[in-house]
Amino acid sequence: MSLTPQLLVVKDLSTTFDTPAGPLAAVGGVSFDLNQNETMGIVGESGSGKTVLARTVMGLQPRSKVTVSGSVLLNGFEVVGASDVEKQKIWGLQVAMIFQDPMTSLNPVMRIGRQIDEILRVRLGMDRHAAKARAIELLELVGIPSPAERYHVFPGQLSGGMRQRVVIATALAGSPQLLLADEPTTGLDVTIQAQILNLLDEIKERMKMSVILVTHDLGVVATRTSRLIVMYAGRIVEMGSTRDVFVNHRMPYTRALLDGSPKVSNPSHTRLLAIPGRPPNLLKLPPGCSFAPRCSFATDRCHKERPELQPANTPGHTFACWNPLPTNRGASA
Amino acid sequence: MSDTRQPLLRVRDLTVNFGSHRHPLSAVAGVSFDIYEGETLGLVGESGCGKSTTGKALMRIVEPSSGSIELEGVEITTQKGKALRNLRTRMQMIFQDPISSLNPRRRAKDIVAEPLDCWKSVEGDERTALVNDLLSKVGIDPIVYGNRYARQFSGGQCQRISIARSLAMRPKLLICDEMVSALDVSIQAQILNLLEDLKAEYGLTLLFIAHDLAVVKNVSDRVAVMYLGKMCEIGPPDTLYDAPEHPYTQFLLGAALEADPDSPLHGEVLVGEPPSPMNPPSGCRFRTRCPFATDKCAAEEPLLVEMAPGHTVACHYPLSLSRT
Repeated sequence: MSLTPQLLVVKDLSTTFDTPAGPLAAVGGVSFDLNQNETMGIVGESGSGKTVLARTVMGLQPRSKVTVSGSVLLNGFEVVGASDVEKQKIWGLQVAMIFQDPMTSLNPVMRIGRQIDEILRVRLGMDRHAAKARAIELLELVGIPSPAERYHVFPGQLSGGMRQRVVIATALAGSPQLLLADEPTTGLDVTIQAQILNLLDEIKERMKMSVILVTHDLGVVATRTSRLIVMYAGRIVEMGSTRDVFVNHRMPYTRALLDGSPKVSNPSHTRLLAIPGRPPNLLKLPPGCSFAPRCSFATDRCHKERPELQPANTPGHTFACWNPLPTNRGASA
Repeated sequence: MSDTRQPLLRVRDLTVNFGSHRHPLSAVAGVSFDIYEGETLGLVGESGCGKSTTGKALMRIVEPSSGSIELEGVEITTQKGKALRNLRTRMQMIFQDPISSLNPRRRAKDIVAEPLDCWKSVEGDERTALVNDLLSKVGIDPIVYGNRYARQFSGGQCQRISIARSLAMRPKLLICDEMVSALDVSIQAQILNLLEDLKAEYGLTLLFIAHDLAVVKNVSDRVAVMYLGKMCEIGPPDTLYDAPEHPYTQFLLGAALEADPDSPLHGEVLVGEPPSPMNPPSGCRFRTRCPFATDKCAAEEPLLVEMAPGHTVACHYPLSLSRT
């Protein structure tokens, strides 16, 4: 792992929103790194801070009412504290982001070709003809049929799946090394979702990119990521290779997520192991482990002291829990 | 085996057309199925396949254009006025967005009591007791939360209140339209378990409409697959998921992502997107995306044929024939 240079190093990153009800720690003390040409998944339920984390890595926050501390080092560039002018040098060229709703990420009154052109002309300084040729190439790359004709259509004339392909094309225009995909397939049908995820895999290999896949759906990350981060209430509760997190997880919340989702391979009417309660209010986080109020293994210590990430048996696998699940349970999960 | 039972709901050749005369859009194009008493029929399909419209047509929230719907032997499509209102107490619907299905400015107990007040079926102490009972059955403490407003509840709690409201009139049939798709995994599991418990306790029959194949398999006794307004396949979940007969079902299952790092990445991904229902293909509606399509598929529309007891498929070339 030490041979390949790390593309992204995140250290002790916190994002706190200043709300009328007090400071809200959407992301609290998150550290991780990402290698070149690696796909990492970030999973969690709504409100777990996964989207805020991705946006903070990208350097996208409103200027006021947000406090960011820690460090995000992208290819040697410190994102935290950089001005917008400085960040514009990396946006699109080193890091790009695709969002959940492809309709709102595209300008509805601008032809799709022009939206891709814009990046090529402004960021890469291409002239009009070169930009158009490259935009058509990009549309072809993301699998849009008859790209030369589609160059002239408006986003509203395309289906959801096609729009997401256009969004991916705009993200790829500056050949970024890191692509942040925030719930890229959530609004899409299963057959279209499979197409888009395959496309992302293919492009990642072809363009030698790294991808961070943010999602609530464990199925999306199970076979497509090499490492996985599980977030709960703004913190990383477990992190490791995808296999370790799925099979040898130590944190009870990770198990609850896995047991709570119905599986196609299980017979019908299999009782789901649901955990009671719901995620905590981020304004009133419990002093100890955030998951303790819902955890069946919780002890006094869990309610009082917050567990830090500690290493598990396999290198690179860490978890934050005082009473972890036993190891070597085999592949029965 | 299921043929001996009397169906609770019998749907024959149901069609629902939207749009104008000049530009008709048939959202549901001749769908037939039965739901037997006490069972859960899962209805899956991608967006635009007509699954929600089918559910709404059963409630007559949208008007069926033709066809017949019989609930407990009574034809629903021709009912009007008071008779229709009476029928609607026998079936209730739960919608996808739990928050927008409740009036944010009303209290939880009033929301649950509303059907009772409309029908004046119970009053006074009996009414209060029934409302409290319904709320506790769905896991909302009536003493603590009964007086809170709908806007003060989370999505999962709102869905619980919707369920309590739908059970107030003791319906026979509950139509659940994507009722867990807006919820987080841990909340979804709670609601699905709750639904199974209530189904047993109240003797409910369910039509469970959803796009998530794993969720549908989990709750269903039989599963129906729809594509572009037509029924593709109906069968028991374990056989339908293990050995699908319709190529579309196979592709749909192949695209479903399992939360398991060892699950094989299914190589074959369905190409293209569903055609517009404004201008559906001739013959079999799936033929434009089907790798096995022949001239016969374009010329003749396949009818639902029984392959095994309780397992029917609408395809000229069912997969079990090519498997052997």
